[in-house]
Amino acid sequence: MSLVEIKNLKVHYPIRSGFWNRITDEVPAVDGISFNIEAGETYGLVGESGSGKSTTGKSVVGLEKVTSGQILYNGHDITRRNNRRKLDYNHDVQMIFQDSLSSLNPRKRIEDIIAEPLRNFEHLSKQDEKLRVLQLLDIVGLDADALYKYPHQFSGGQRQRIGVARAVATNPKLIIADEPVSALDLSVQAQVLNFMKKIQRDFGISYLFISHDLGVVRHMCTNLAIMNRGRLVEIGTCDDIYNHPLHIYTKRLLAAIPRTDVSQRAAHRASRLAVEEIYREQQDKYYDDNGRAYPLVAVSPTHQVALPPDIAQQLAHQESEADV
Amino acid sequence: MAENFNRNTNVSANDLARLSQEAEAEATPSSARIVWDEFKADKPAMVALVIVVGFILFVMIASLFINTPKMMQTNIMAYFDRPGTDGMWLGADSAGRSVAKQLIVGSRNSIGIAIGLTVISSTFGICWGLISGYFNGYIDWGMQRVYDFMMMLPMTMMIIVLVTIIPHYNAITLTLIFSIFYWEGTSRLIRSRTLAESEKDYVAASKTSGTSNFKIIFREIMPNISSLIIVDTTLSFAENIGVETGLSYLGFGLPTQTPSLGTMIANANDPNNITQYWWTWLPAALEIIILCLSISYIGQVIRRAADASQRQGAGD
Ligand SMILES: Nc1ncnc2c1ncn2[C@@H]1O[C@H](COP(=O)(O)OP(=O)(O)O)[C@@H](O)[C@H]1O
Ligand SMILES: [Mg+2]
Repeated sequence: MSLVEIKNLKVHYPIRSGFWNRITDEVPAVDGISFNIEAGETYGLVGESGSGKSTTGKSVVGLEKVTSGQILYNGHDITRRNNRRKLDYNHDVQMIFQDSLSSLNPRKRIEDIIAEPLRNFEHLSKQDEKLRVLQLLDIVGLDADALYKYPHQFSGGQRQRIGVARAVATNPKLIIADEPVSALDLSVQAQVLNFMKKIQRDFGISYLFISHDLGVVRHMCTNLAIMNRGRLVEIGTCDDIYNHPLHIYTKRLLAAIPRTDVSQRAAHRASRLAVEEIYREQQDKYYDDNGRAYPLVAVSPTHQVALPPDIAQQLAHQESEADV
Repeated sequence: MAENFNRNTNVSANDLARLSQEAEAEATPSSARIVWDEFKADKPAMVALVIVVGFILFVMIASLFINTPKMMQTNIMAYFDRPGTDGMWLGADSAGRSVAKQLIVGSRNSIGIAIGLTVISSTFGICWGLISGYFNGYIDWGMQRVYDFMMMLPMTMMIIVLVTIIPHYNAITLTLIFSIFYWEGTSRLIRSRTLAESEKDYVAASKTSGTSNFKIIFREIMPNISSLIIVDTTLSFAENIGVETGLSYLGFGLPTQTPSLGTMIANANDPNNITQYWWTWLPAALEIIILCLSISYIGQVIRRAADASQRQGAGD
């Protein structure tokens, strides 16, 4: 059994209006997605902004009210608040937020911020609690000085470390990392990613790693799901997605990865334009009449793509021939 | 599980005392300290603070030594005494009652009502706004309809009607009646800030950390809007002095035998008094102006202290 199984998850935001506050419309932020996260792995969730990644992540930690579908954690459906409370769910599942500044209460000292989950879930003595906070600071590479400071006294990278320390405080099984490095400089990004990997090894944590950039995810993830307008368009292993992408949306995301080698710039530009051209011409082949992605079909045991079955087989065939 | 952490770091129980001490040395000043520094850096604000605190203490204590019923007795011999005669520093009014003593007792009554009104209506308005803004759904919708209903009522008229139909009322019932109508402004202000604050990720982080809604509202969100709360409370205190004063001036505030700043200013209703017997109303009017100005000045300083970029005192 997987650690987390997401089954046909839907989150539709109601749009209310008028004096009686009736629901007049809906935004289908997440529109029927399914995937599984295994214990100890990093699962990547990638898509452009607005595709519903954060909403998915928030549903998995229990911050979002789910419209329909199931999220099974060790076999328990945690979309219901009662079940989450019974399991002490957030003791095991934590979140790292994209905006490190907004995710730390500006009025609280670092000690109180990191100790918050400990106070609610572990009930340690004052001494043990302070020791644990100091250990956590040490693990994320911050000095003990930080204890009584406020969030605004740190740089973005340091703040994100504090966010990680808080998430790891209760030694959770799964951490939802919602674009944890998108707001950081490139050099700092690598640092933060590296110690996130180190913590994963040391503590045996699974990550649901959310990003809009396939380049960032490449070195983190074993399995990936590509999300587009609230639907999954492709699921596969790292190799499936990076080396054998089938859906045009995945190809676009791959073409959009920023490159650093200047000599190849013209070539990259050409390939990006080519993908863009195909996208414009063949859009209706990849999406149904309402512009929604098709249901996923398997083209290999690990690889699924959202296409009508015949086209999926045909593309997979072409792909494997091109490979040989 | 604790072993898990011990295994991955060099920090052990032995270092605890030393590291805590190091951290203590680097700690940031508390917000009370920052506000105090701000007052020290701004002399006029300090003067305003001394005036307000000193004056309130003075009238509270001095009024204990004044026998109000005796003071309010008519003394025809002292009819419109000029300031300084018959041992009355500020003279006497048309009934020969000492203006100075009335000013002290009247200030105590007016300020007492203003403080009571501010405490009750601000506390209620703040809680209402916080809860309404945080829950943001049916609860918010219901609470906003109550708010709309209260706003629809003609406030001054309602108070006058209530004061007229309640047979025996005193300063306390009057304060409670005022309070029913003076929480709305605060609640709307607090609600709009709470709505914005609830969207921030630290609230989400507190939820995933297992903190209860009640604690999130009062321990996480409220400190973050504390500057707004303090400024709004000081300003509504200044405003509330005017509430009782205004109604007493119109004759619908405290009963006539209870002096207040409003009843004293009402002396100015008589054109004779305005020019000839100026001492009957001018001191009370000046007092209100000075108090209100000082209080709003203090409010500004606190707001500045809360907003790091505008501080004049030593930075952090
Ligand atoms: N609270 C909300 N109310 C209404 N619509 C929302 C809300 N939060 C997100 N959305 C909409 O849901 C969609 C998905 O948002 P989000 O999950 O934040 O995307 P991503 O994280 O991939 O950028 C967007 O179109 C966004 O406008
Ligand atoms: Mg997002």
